[in-house]
Amino acid sequence: MNSKNHIEILRLKGSILRYLLLVMITINLFAVDATLTIEKDVEQRTRIALEEGSEVYHPSLFELFRSDLKVSGHFLTDANAYTGSYEGGVVDPAQKAQEYVLKYRFDESRGAKLSVRLLKAGDGKEVFRKSYAIPRSSKMPFLVHKAVSDLNDLLKYPSIAWINRYVIYAKYTTPKHSEIVLADYTFSYKKTIIRGGLNLFPVWADSKQRSFYYTSYRGLVPTLYRLNIYTGQKQKIASSEGMMVCSDVSRNGKKILVTMAPSGQPDIYEIDLGSGDKRRITHFNGIDVGGRYIDDENRIVFVSNRLGYPNIFKKGIGRSAVSQVVYHGRNNNACDAFNDKIIYASRESSSVFGHNTFNLYLTSTQSTQTRPLTTTGSNQFPRFSANGAVVLFIKQHAEGSSVGYINLQSKQSLLFPIDGEKIQSIDW
Amino acid sequence: MKQRYKEVLLALSLVLLSGCGQPVPNMGNDSSNINNADTISIDEERYNGSNGSNGLDGNSGMYNSSADGFQSLYFDFDSYSITPDMERVIAKDAAVAQKSGDRKIKIEGNCDEFGTDEYNYALGLKRAKAVKDMLAMQGVPSSRMVMVSYGESNPACTVQSDACYAQNRRVDLRLAR
Repeated sequence: MNSKNHIEILRLKGSILRYLLLVMITINLFAVDATLTIEKDVEQRTRIALEEGSEVYHPSLFELFRSDLKVSGHFLTDANAYTGSYEGGVVDPAQKAQEYVLKYRFDESRGAKLSVRLLKAGDGKEVFRKSYAIPRSSKMPFLVHKAVSDLNDLLKYPSIAWINRYVIYAKYTTPKHSEIVLADYTFSYKKTIIRGGLNLFPVWADSKQRSFYYTSYRGLVPTLYRLNIYTGQKQKIASSEGMMVCSDVSRNGKKILVTMAPSGQPDIYEIDLGSGDKRRITHFNGIDVGGRYIDDENRIVFVSNRLGYPNIFKKGIGRSAVSQVVYHGRNNNACDAFNDKIIYASRESSSVFGHNTFNLYLTSTQSTQTRPLTTTGSNQFPRFSANGAVVLFIKQHAEGSSVGYINLQSKQSLLFPIDGEKIQSIDW
Repeated sequence: MKQRYKEVLLALSLVLLSGCGQPVPNMGNDSSNINNADTISIDEERYNGSNGSNGLDGNSGMYNSSADGFQSLYFDFDSYSITPDMERVIAKDAAVAQKSGDRKIKIEGNCDEFGTDEYNYALGLKRAKAVKDMLAMQGVPSSRMVMVSYGESNPACTVQSDACYAQNRRVDLRLAR
């Protein structure tokens, strides 16, 4: 081999390596998408079959169990919906390939009652048995969520208690009219809490989800209220000309971050609910909105157009310095935070109007790394779960709208259709 | 040659490690109940949020969703700047305001659907503030004017077209009731 050929071969090897590198970067960047399910660590998940032992088969129950088990990231569910006797220890030969069989029975003669038994598929030995009841059968999805959550804890997997929580959201109905609705995380259960008028921006006021804040437009200026969903007790918190939005609640529920404009200028304030003191956090003659507590709640992240376009910034409460958090995109107009983690929506449409493309990205106050979480469609309203493990979002695509969940640990994702609803704001 | 392989190995390592670079939130152990208690349901009395004429203005032929003799003002995408051609409309609105005695004037900021929740409401407010400031310069007392942003909640047009979106990026004026 002469030296010229040798150099050509080296160049060729270099080109191939560069190509492989490019492919790997591309795969890595687009590895996680809300529309995809990444089947990772399959061997580490528990294989389980579902068998209904009710007098009548309920297809919706099977789907709920399947969704809960899937979104946990801890189970691989048999796609077959088995039916059989609830009692006894006989395991269908077709289920022997599984590790466990979950038998369940549903009765709605008086309210709703769900009974579950977990059997070892190998020998039919019962390892768990429990019944769940709720007065209103419309709340049946919560029984399934609770059963799966308990099952998950029994097998000592990391908690998925977030599936038991209420989702609260505002949706537009007609111009200047909206409704505030409670739902389970799959939107299988829905109940309108406030109808009539324009009531927006619901945010849970406490970790136990007993009360929530919302903005009412019933008076001359927007007013923030706190409403107890069980007693109906309503308390006026504050009002402001122009706009009044509660963006975040401190962990102990004693302070809130709001966007308001007492002089017509939208800025972020912190309200001490005990004393009623209002502390102005941002001072900018443009738009500062969407404050979220970060780290030890001495700092916030927020959306601002101080660079001429919406982007994510952070600042210490009581300090003047503001620093840019996101160095990506030209229209990042919504964010949420959990400790030092930040998720934001970035508009990536090629044209000003027309088809909207919003994607979600995960970053941190501790680094400039950004991880894409979605790659297709319009993905907005990102909200961390109470434990920061899962991200809720609303996806709009050609087929309709969905509420989506991304489990950041298992990278499992799931979409539930919510067609026909124009969501304004959401929290859980 | 060795140097090239070193560079490639280093790059590959960085790519593979980048997936682990972002710390993943720990799953907590938050307790939860079964949400079995009954929740309330409130039916608020109908809010009197008149949309005004919601039609073409008889004098100018322009679309107008203001009321009580006022004319709406229209803004560019993601903008809250007052352009020279808006000043003529503001002068007319100031004259209408002067003729309406001491009654309060409600200035409503609106947006198209191309924004997300809070940011859109702030954008609507900035539009209302820009109009309020111009009216104040024309002699309308600030104490008579009150601003409210409706964000994207009050579209005058719901067809998906540029012309329709333009009708929604506006400020409406009406006498407060």
